[in-house]
Amino acid sequence: MKINISTTLNDRTLEVSVYPNQTLLEFLRDDLCLKGSVEGCGVGVCGSCTVLVDNRPVSSCLMLATDAAGKRITTIEGLGRNGALDPVQEAFLKHQAFQCGYCTPGMIMAVKGLLLNNPHPTESQARDYLSGNLCRCGTYVEVLAAVQELAGR
Amino acid sequence: MRRFELAEPQTLEEACALLNDDGDAKALAGGTALLTLIKHGIFIPKTLVNLKKIGGMSGIDYDRQRGLRIGALTSIYDVESSPLVCQYYPWLAEACHLVANIRIRNMATIGGNLAHGDYQSDPPTALVALDASVDLTRGTGTRQIKLSEFLLGSYETALQPGELLSALVVPPPDSWRGTYIKFTTGSSEERPCAGIAALLRMEQGICRDLRLVVGAVSPRPVRMHHAEEFARGKEISEAVLQTIGAEASRVVDPIDDLRGSASYKRQLVGVLVRRALAAVIH
Ligand SMILES: Cc1cc2nc3c(=O)[nH]c(=O)nc-3n(C[C@H](O)[C@H](O)[C@H](O)COP(=O)(O)OP(=O)(O)OC[C@H]3O[C@@H](n4cnc5c(N)ncnc54)[C@H](O)[C@@H]3O)c2cc1C
Repeated sequence: MKINISTTLNDRTLEVSVYPNQTLLEFLRDDLCLKGSVEGCGVGVCGSCTVLVDNRPVSSCLMLATDAAGKRITTIEGLGRNGALDPVQEAFLKHQAFQCGYCTPGMIMAVKGLLLNNPHPTESQARDYLSGNLCRCGTYVEVLAAVQELAGR
Repeated sequence: MRRFELAEPQTLEEACALLNDDGDAKALAGGTALLTLIKHGIFIPKTLVNLKKIGGMSGIDYDRQRGLRIGALTSIYDVESSPLVCQYYPWLAEACHLVANIRIRNMATIGGNLAHGDYQSDPPTALVALDASVDLTRGTGTRQIKLSEFLLGSYETALQPGELLSALVVPPPDSWRGTYIKFTTGSSEERPCAGIAALLRMEQGICRDLRLVVGAVSPRPVRMHHAEEFARGKEISEAVLQTIGAEASRVVDPIDDLRGSASYKRQLVGVLVRRALAAVIH
């Protein structure tokens, strides 16, 4: 039996019904066709499914969709405004902070979470906060350069 | 994910009744441990009882006489970032900060961490050193037991069917100075291979009291009572550090696992105990 919930997704209020065993990631991808958040490990280790819940990063692969009720969810699709990229996206482009791009939506959401929590992180704070977002191409140096630019603003 | 029924009670009483009436029902808090077990096919669920819609089960209070009280549903991140915890129990904040990654700490609850009873955890080690207790409830009435008696072994706790952990209670920090150190053999955000909590009370260079707990190497955190006794009344010299480290290394009964062999962990414990004590003193 499906459960009715009301949630705010990328600034829009939604009334939807979800399955008890559906993760937030499955709901975003399969029901809403928002394919930006991707599954890597499925068990909270890699970070490629990172989304923000009330401005805090979580692993959407380990969160039940029903727990989105009453919460504010932000996904990579919700970052740009009126066709313009978010400053975090701009900084990633400028510093080429990606290679294959699989981890990138999650990495950008984690950086967004970091800056919302701490607008001017030091490099060691950024390393600590982002340590659980894995990039198998090894673009960490470029990601940190993007963060340092954003932190200096 | 595998199918299950989901009950979403609004009160603690309702949740306990659901768990009591249905022996196959299992509580779900942050889900970081339980959903992983379900995904791996290790736990086959029938009914999950979602605790997160229950009000009043999260939050942190501090009172100088009674100490700290943390609701079971408080996220690990909220514990580490609480100004009260950072001010009065910095080593507990550190043990929570060293758990997993920021996403898991935002989702995982402190109650879930303790109730899961996984020996490869960080907060229980610091909390056993602090002589913390847990409140267990069946909806009506609550019993309070020491965390050291609650944690029985690997994935084993004193929770009875139909019982929930409602809060964590930590005595006042008095004049303890302390540290928690975590050692990982994988990446930095991995589960601990070993964790050491050391609390020290010094007076004019003399150790008045010591609490020393070794976590993550055996089925539950172990207090080093002999070493604690040995340290009392002594100046913590290099020789005393060596003796305490050797004693801890001798006493532990490590589990061979992916994070290290038993003999490796035994060696490691001696080194880490010395490091932890040296860090508190300096
Ligand atoms: C990728 C990853 C890395 C991790 N790394 C670390 C680490 O470095 N250090 C560390 O210490 N831990 C680590 N963990 C473990 C993590 O701390 C636990 O998974 C988490 O704390 C469990 O809390 P939860 O709220 O998510 O519990 P859940 O998954 O919801 O529940 C866990 C168990 O506890 C029971 N339970 C939950 N709440 C209650 C309650 N109030 N009363 C009674 N029973 C209850 C459930 O029935 C279930 O059996 C890691 C986990 C993951 C996924």
